[in-house]
Amino acid sequence: MLTIIRKEVLLLLKEKGTFFWLFLLPILFIVMFASVFGNIGGQDITIQYLDQDDTQASHQFLDAIKELKGFTLESDNDLTLDEQVQQIKDGKQSSLLVIPSGFEKELQASAAPANIELYRDATADDAVAPVQAVLQNIANGYREGKISGTLQGLGKTDVEIQQILTPPIAVKEVKENASKADMVSQVVPGYTVMFVFFIIISMVRSFIKEKESGMLARLRSTPLKPLSYLMGTWVSFILVALIQCGVLLAFGHFVYDLQLGDVLAVSLIVLCLSICGTGIGLALSMLVKSENQGVAFTQILTMGGAVVGGLWFPYDFLPRSAQVVGLFTPQYWAQHGFQDVMIRGAHLTDVWPTLLVLIGFGVLGLLVALARYRKFMLTASN
Amino acid sequence: MAVVEVQGLTKTYDKKQALHNVSFSVAGGSCFGLLGPNGAGKSTTMKILTGILDGDGGTAKILGLDVQHDRDNLRRQVGYVPQEITLYDKLSAVDNLRFFGELYGVKGAELRERIAAVLEQVGLTDRAKDAVKTFSGGMKRRINIAAALLHQPKLLILDEPTVGIDPQSRNHIFNMIRDLKQQGVTIIYSTHYMEEVETLCDHLAIIDNGHVIAQGALQELLDQYGQTSIFVEAKGWAELPALAEVKSSRAVDDGYMLETDHLLETMQSLTQTALRQGVHVRKLETVRPSLETVFLTLTGTSLRD
Repeated sequence: MLTIIRKEVLLLLKEKGTFFWLFLLPILFIVMFASVFGNIGGQDITIQYLDQDDTQASHQFLDAIKELKGFTLESDNDLTLDEQVQQIKDGKQSSLLVIPSGFEKELQASAAPANIELYRDATADDAVAPVQAVLQNIANGYREGKISGTLQGLGKTDVEIQQILTPPIAVKEVKENASKADMVSQVVPGYTVMFVFFIIISMVRSFIKEKESGMLARLRSTPLKPLSYLMGTWVSFILVALIQCGVLLAFGHFVYDLQLGDVLAVSLIVLCLSICGTGIGLALSMLVKSENQGVAFTQILTMGGAVVGGLWFPYDFLPRSAQVVGLFTPQYWAQHGFQDVMIRGAHLTDVWPTLLVLIGFGVLGLLVALARYRKFMLTASN
Repeated sequence: MAVVEVQGLTKTYDKKQALHNVSFSVAGGSCFGLLGPNGAGKSTTMKILTGILDGDGGTAKILGLDVQHDRDNLRRQVGYVPQEITLYDKLSAVDNLRFFGELYGVKGAELRERIAAVLEQVGLTDRAKDAVKTFSGGMKRRINIAAALLHQPKLLILDEPTVGIDPQSRNHIFNMIRDLKQQGVTIIYSTHYMEEVETLCDHLAIIDNGHVIAQGALQELLDQYGQTSIFVEAKGWAELPALAEVKSSRAVDDGYMLETDHLLETMQSLTQTALRQGVHVRKLETVRPSLETVFLTLTGTSLRD
């Protein structure tokens, strides 16, 4: 068995594509997605506006927006209202805040509400929602100011006014995570898990190539036990998956300051994940009839599992039906386990369901492979 | 004493019967040829002998051990060179040999010595550390054979080991087989090249469509089934003159092949007829019996077809 392991590792080392698929590509994905999504929280939302009133009141209103964190005001005085509305229609702009002439007068008259207008692209709900929310918030501020003025007129003290204006329900945010939860703690374990399953392609390729080249038949003429061949090949791919996970998590830790948490727990998840991915690879190698078939099945397993397992975006963002499907994938359990340890400070005793599920998938793969192995060897001999 | 004893071997793939009651025996220290066209059943027989395949019926014994029941013991005493080149292209010759040597249980210093010895045998010592993918087809075939010699087998089974190689490598392989035979190694050599059997083997079995149609010592088969012939190529004979001594004739290339039991008389008749008719004879030669004629006599078809 050691001979098979050594041969397989030697072959993988000689294969230039191995480094690209197992290490460079996942690192590239991690860098790309961590850079793109990691900056989302830090980017300001730009509000395009047109101040037709141009009075002290309209300036105060705009100043109120400027004071808010995460929002930037921008105006293009060269374009008319019609031209800017046309830009929204053309999809070049998502919204336009217009403070119409007479805003200040309407505000001072206080008979009817002073109107501001928000032109928006009907298809850009996600982009416009924060703008709508902030405008509503400022409008509420004006309303509170008006109520406060009325109450003062009625002779209420500041304390009494404060009590009246205090909302009956206050939402208190309590962060329960041991470490910060950001895109790095989503992307690094996510792509580590995803790319472990890509090793299935290398496994299928190795087995099919050995079968079609006559090597497997040749090996049958030697004293090598068939089971030693199967197990030797499996173990060598487990070793490769372990190294792959180690490299990717270390990259996340040293380059992006990913907090690994309990290293023993993470290590055991990595071991079980490696057994799981390669176990499934073993089963698939015995089941498929050609390399192309193997690659197709691997893509389905890898990409499908990545989506519903919450590897690409947080599992909680997924629709309920996708979340249910995700529960049946090893990717979900691996990612869940990693994040439990890295974000929520879980230890070995907390992640045993993850370890059990991953080992279960691996053992199931081995059993399927063993059941199919005789037939696989027979087709290799003819 | 027979090293290999095959009795009534049968094998069926799906509905196609590949071997029909195949029987033959191979004497120790001999080079035994298994001759037949592609698809005759040679590789199937080899694979059963090496334990890669199970036969459906009959028995096969090597060194007195049953190939089906004593596989583990036998595999350490048999070397198998398959028709395909079964090497890892990206690994060096030494890495490939180390891999196969370890599979046969050869290890450490002994393995290093054996690798050096087999590389010397196949004449590739200077290319030991080069990746196999840089080798010519002939060199790959030689390493393919070297991989089966590391454990010093008592029986070496070679399945079409010279397909698609250059003359230099072919000669190297022939010399190696002769050396092994001299060292007392028993050899089974499967091929569809009759010249190779004539050059290397002292005994053979001819196999066609899964049947052994003839077997024995090479000279016995040639004597029994071969036919002495005369080849004549002449300008001016649109049709060959009828000669009483000729049993049969057929056109071959630009001349005729005449089968006869009376060489001298036939040549005399041909010469006299040509002189009388003023025909210019370009070639007139005797053709010794060959396995080609043996195969033709036995099957009615040429081995090359």
